[in-house]
Amino acid sequence: MIEIRGLHKSYGSLEVLKGVDVTLPKGKVLVIIGPSGSGKTTLLRCFNLLEVPDRGSIKLGDNSFEFHAGAKIPQKDILALRKSTGMVFQSFNLFPHMTAIENIMEAQVTVQKKNKGEARKRAEVLLEKVGLADKADSYPHKLSGGQQQRVAIARAMAIDPEVLLFDEPTSALDPELVGDVLKVMKQLAAEGMTMAIVTHEMKFAADVADHIILMDDGLIIEQGSPQEVLNNPKSSRAIQFLNHLNGKSEE
Amino acid sequence: MDDRQIQIVMDTFWPLLKAGVLYTIPLTLITFALGLIIAVITALIRLSSWRIPKLIAGFYVWIIRGTPLLVQLFIIFYGLPSAGIILSPYISAIIGLSLSVGAYGSEIVRAAILSIQKGQWEASYSLGMTRLQALRRIILPQAARVSIPPLGNSFISLVKDTSLVSVITFVEMFKKSTQYVAYYYEPLLIYCEVGVIYLLFCSVLSVLQNKVEKRLERFSAS
Ligand SMILES: Nc1ncnc2c1ncn2[C@@H]1O[C@H](COP(=O)(O)OP(=O)(O)OP(=O)(O)O)[C@@H](O)[C@H]1O
Ligand SMILES: [Mg+2]
Repeated sequence: MIEIRGLHKSYGSLEVLKGVDVTLPKGKVLVIIGPSGSGKTTLLRCFNLLEVPDRGSIKLGDNSFEFHAGAKIPQKDILALRKSTGMVFQSFNLFPHMTAIENIMEAQVTVQKKNKGEARKRAEVLLEKVGLADKADSYPHKLSGGQQQRVAIARAMAIDPEVLLFDEPTSALDPELVGDVLKVMKQLAAEGMTMAIVTHEMKFAADVADHIILMDDGLIIEQGSPQEVLNNPKSSRAIQFLNHLNGKSEE
Repeated sequence: MDDRQIQIVMDTFWPLLKAGVLYTIPLTLITFALGLIIAVITALIRLSSWRIPKLIAGFYVWIIRGTPLLVQLFIIFYGLPSAGIILSPYISAIIGLSLSVGAYGSEIVRAAILSIQKGQWEASYSLGMTRLQALRRIILPQAARVSIPPLGNSFISLVKDTSLVSVITFVEMFKKSTQYVAYYYEPLLIYCEVGVIYLLFCSVLSVLQNKVEKRLERFSAS
């Protein structure tokens, strides 16, 4: 359902993506791992065009894009793509002036033009799903990090996206709150949600991923099933990175 | 104070207060409202990518902030008639003061918009919002909260700045006091009296400002 071919992206003279291909079939979970600065966030942000690639192509459902120098992507195509993707950020980015339920209603009303009653109903279902039905009327600053992130997941799902994008959704959380968020994500995966997830949680990745890609310096250096990538990496860079991660998690 | 002075205060206090309530306060409210509209529009233009409007907006702020309000009022009321534009004192006062509030206010609004985290824009965009939708629904409501304390200060300054329009023959509270001074020959007494009334207005506003800020704190711990 998502096909990315030959993606290149530079910031000034710094080439961050150096030709990346990704295929993510419907209902599957893609996990992206790799060392800091390898381009994971940049790649994920190309999925919904928060970053516009310099070269390459992206196909997501009915939305296709070709990127090359000088080509301007029409705003309405960008909006159409974003309406079929949802994104969950490391720092939650909930709207602080809205309650939890208002956060989840917002895009339904403003973007999808649903009426408020309908949007509220859908928001209630989603809050229930992430285990926060009792927090509907709380403002974000009254919620724990884990609760905020679960509201953010519900917010991203509220527009009924075809794919959910997660950029290190648990990295900003206290360790004891990580589990609640991962549980919600596992449940979504089990329900057949298509997801692309950048994470450092290897156990979670091993559990939930259908396909893992390991990035280094703007390129995919290893990919395959969790078993293949995590247990039988081929390149020495991949072995080095995985050992480093394991070393860290045993500390 | 002797008996005569007490009598003068008794005779002038209510008329002065009345001038304040009838002219100074409405002038403040009208120019602040207009100024705020100008401020928001100017701030948005300066943050946009339209080159020519941006230049014009930047020029406007530069001129207004770089010249005395008194000079601006003189130009509008005494200068423009030579160019064939004749405005009443009332209209001149409103134009002069609102342009001033608009320029200073635009800097406050612009800083407030820029203070909103990038993540708020990104979250809005990721949900499929346009730039305008993100501004209206997500960014401006938060920026408004950030700008209320400094705008409150501007509002209080404006109450005092309205006294400047006395120089273009607009009879507000301060102009009224100068007329009393000419009549009673008691400058120290009457100017102090009118000063006390300004102090009264501003003190009431400060209390209101504190209340508003307390209310806002409830929503945003961050
Ligand atoms: N907006 C930007 N402007 C300039 N350079 C950027 C920008 N965003 C990212 N970079 C650079 O691009 C490179 C890749 O960044 P990216 O955020 O994609 O890495 P990452 O794999 O997500 O790293 P991390 O694990 O630390 O989040 C880094 O060197 C980073 O400094
Ligand atoms: Mg990153």
